[in-house]
Amino acid sequence: MTLEVEGVTAGYTREVPILQGVDLTAQQGLVTVIIGPNGAGKSTLLKVIYGYLEPRAGDVRHFGKSIIGLEPKDMLNEGIAYLIQGHSVFPKMTVHENLELGAWTLGGDRAAVQAAFEEVYDHYPRLKEKRSQLAGVLSGGEQRMLELARLTMTSPRTILLDEPSVGLMPKLVDTVYDEIARLKEKKYTILMVDQNVKKSMEIADYVYVLQLGQNRHDGPQQDFIERLPEIIREWI
Amino acid sequence: MDLDLLLNPIILSEILLQGMVRGSMYALMGCGLSLIFGLMGVKNFSHGEFFMLGTYMMYFVAVMMDMPFLAGIFAAAVVLFIFGMLVERSLIATLRKRAGRDWLLDAFVLTIGMMVVMQNLALLIFGSRRRGIARLVEGSVDIGPISITLERLTILLVAVLVVIVLWAFIKYTRTGKAIRATGQDPDAAQTLGIDVNRVYTYTFGIGAALAGIAGGLLISIFPAYPTVGFQPVIKSIAVVILGGLGNVPGAIAAGLLLGVIEAYSLFFFAAGWQNVITAILVVLVLMVRPYGLFSSAKGERP
Amino acid sequence: MSAVAYPEKPAFLREVTFWRVVKVLILLGFLIFVPFYSDSRFITTVFISAVMFGVFAAIYDLMIGYGGLINFGYAGFIAAGAYTSALAWFHFGISPWIGMFLGGVMCAVLGFLLGVISLRLRGLYLALMTFFVGEAIRFSIANTPEYTRGMLGLSVAPLPDLFGISFARGELLNYYYLLLVMGAAIMIFMTVLVRSKFGLAFKAMREDQLATESLGISTTRYKLYNFTIASFLTGILAGFYAHYLGILSPTPEEFGVPKTVQILTITYVGGRGTLWGSLFSGFLLIGFQEYFRALGAWRLVMFGALLIFVMLYARRGLAGLKKYVW
Ligand SMILES: Nc1ncnc2c1ncn2[C@@H]1O[C@H](COP(=O)(O)OP(=O)(O)O)[C@@H](O)[C@H]1O
Ligand SMILES: [Mg+2]
Repeated sequence: MTLEVEGVTAGYTREVPILQGVDLTAQQGLVTVIIGPNGAGKSTLLKVIYGYLEPRAGDVRHFGKSIIGLEPKDMLNEGIAYLIQGHSVFPKMTVHENLELGAWTLGGDRAAVQAAFEEVYDHYPRLKEKRSQLAGVLSGGEQRMLELARLTMTSPRTILLDEPSVGLMPKLVDTVYDEIARLKEKKYTILMVDQNVKKSMEIADYVYVLQLGQNRHDGPQQDFIERLPEIIREWI
Repeated sequence: MDLDLLLNPIILSEILLQGMVRGSMYALMGCGLSLIFGLMGVKNFSHGEFFMLGTYMMYFVAVMMDMPFLAGIFAAAVVLFIFGMLVERSLIATLRKRAGRDWLLDAFVLTIGMMVVMQNLALLIFGSRRRGIARLVEGSVDIGPISITLERLTILLVAVLVVIVLWAFIKYTRTGKAIRATGQDPDAAQTLGIDVNRVYTYTFGIGAALAGIAGGLLISIFPAYPTVGFQPVIKSIAVVILGGLGNVPGAIAAGLLLGVIEAYSLFFFAAGWQNVITAILVVLVLMVRPYGLFSSAKGERP
Repeated sequence: MSAVAYPEKPAFLREVTFWRVVKVLILLGFLIFVPFYSDSRFITTVFISAVMFGVFAAIYDLMIGYGGLINFGYAGFIAAGAYTSALAWFHFGISPWIGMFLGGVMCAVLGFLLGVISLRLRGLYLALMTFFVGEAIRFSIANTPEYTRGMLGLSVAPLPDLFGISFARGELLNYYYLLLVMGAAIMIFMTVLVRSKFGLAFKAMREDQLATESLGISTTRYKLYNFTIASFLTGILAGFYAHYLGILSPTPEEFGVPKTVQILTITYVGGRGTLWGSLFSGFLLIGFQEYFRALGAWRLVMFGALLIFVMLYARRGLAGLKKYVW
């Protein structure tokens, strides 16, 4: 069990709990997908895992160690990387600087940083080509690639993705999913929130359905393919 | 206005040079303000009081302890850096973490309160007497037909040097990159493991240090007294608006521009009107280009 | 919940309860009789300052607390109103009673123009814009000594007699009661205003400009209303200020940042969005300031610290205490 969420209850204010006793596990080398209607608390769950919100009850464990109480800045050291919802490149910094910031927690370890750069540039020749351009002038798809590449700079073990394909052209959506599939090959643990139910089913190994801050369904992907229309109908 | 004067190239270039000296100090003062604003959106109205503390530091070190003036500038920088960090940690951070609607406006009002407190504490502690240094360096040099005092030249050089160091710091150092990243997208910066709270604290300290350096450097023009910060803070706010809020290079360019404009208006109109001209210029810019003369409309937030 | 259906009273009557009437009468009695019976010039002067700055701060609250519009050049507007009335008399011999009204009109025009040139601006940008407009007004006065005597100071005539009431320099009590009448009119006008649909639109604009626009409420129009009305009231009161004071000079202390900060502090301490809170904190702060004159600059240190405290821990100001004491 790479990542375990157990009975998590959390919210932004004291009065209104958004998540109410959510359980979830994500395993190494697999893609775990969370789906659910808008406002179900999917993003909130990722924020709890990454330490933005302290849960009022429950536990979050990473490789058996409880990570409750750690701050976002400590998470990369625990081997967890997080792609927040929406755009997150630094538009007025170059591609290279963006990647450099991805390696922030490696600190002064020049050799490790160098190796990370080599690997990323090897795999994303386009980023290498545009390394000294400002990230803000890249196309939407390239920016997303940069964000994904930036996530891997510190070689984390677990990657949290919040709607990685939203707002992209259909053709680029495929590239993003290919990329996620590749990360899976490399034995990352991937926990992904997605609105694009159909597409995410193609790469999901295990699926959770969240509704009104509670677990609704879960199961391996094969089970879900047939039940999907019925589940989605429930949301409306 | 005398047309002969208007067309006399020697006089014109003399004014231009004076304007550049003036402008370099405006740029120096505007930089710190702009840096803080660019990073956290806080408009620090007590920037002038940081400047005032810089003038006192300079006076103590250079006059009372009789050390070289560079030591005074250094002391002003260090003390203000620490002071700025303390202010951020204890006051600004409290507001920032509570965030919520309009916290920036609240922070602005908070810095107004700081201004009042610091001015009057200075009055109680140091009294209202002006303590200045007539000259940091003696002598003057001739550049072609124009003569400039070494004093002014020193101010110009130190200001340019400080701005270059600041630029290199932000551009190349690790902390500089974290400052830029946090300014552009604090959430993303945080997910990458950057301690954004610390970045805010450092940056506020650096901004305060820049004000302190300006205060120390300009003591021959602005002697140390409790309300000395008022003119400088107005000028630096003007510079920051003209350059585009948060745009540090823009602030430098705007500083020079404003210095030159003021030097000409001082020469051609009666003294005192340069303040009106500055105010009108700022109002016009806010009307037509609220994002500043040197920023593009995109990504800014009027 | 009772099942009995009460006949609907009009909104304003529903708020008139016995205790409220008593409280208001006590307050009015305090304001009317204390200076009269104390028979002390000092107390009367303090009351005049407190009421005047309390009402200025309430007008300020109309802008910041209701409209979310920060006017950081407010003292410049007071200067415009004060000088208009003073100069109308000085150069053209216009009666100060008309002059005060002219001051209001002048300020209304300036406020309207300020609204026009800052239509697109909000928050800090508006603060900066208003700051420079206010300073431009002050510097213009300072730089035209031919007309305004600039920093030398302009002496202003006292108000002429009205209905047989003398407003000669020494008649402090008469000035005070005139101020009470003017202040009451302004406060009542503003109270009615913020309870009308104007108030609703102001608040909506303060909360969320975009959402307000999407409801079909023109925020630009209400911004103009707000600035114009607030400036008009400011100008009238500023006229009183000029003739009461007897001498004007465009120093920062009188018409610059320190004055704006003083009024802003009274508003913030009183509690934004309350109107009447400003009056209470006016008495509190001005009273404190006058009573502890001996403390000198320490008073201002405390003022600044109080403002900081309010921003950090008591954003509702005195209004946050209301439920305990009122
Ligand atoms: N920063 C926040 N402060 C208060 N409430 C929030 C915040 N972010 C989200 N919410 C609320 O939490 C609920 C769940 O939001 P979220 O987790 O973003 O949903 P999802 O990602 O599933 O669409 C929503 O009702 C939303 O309004
Ligand atoms: Mg979401």
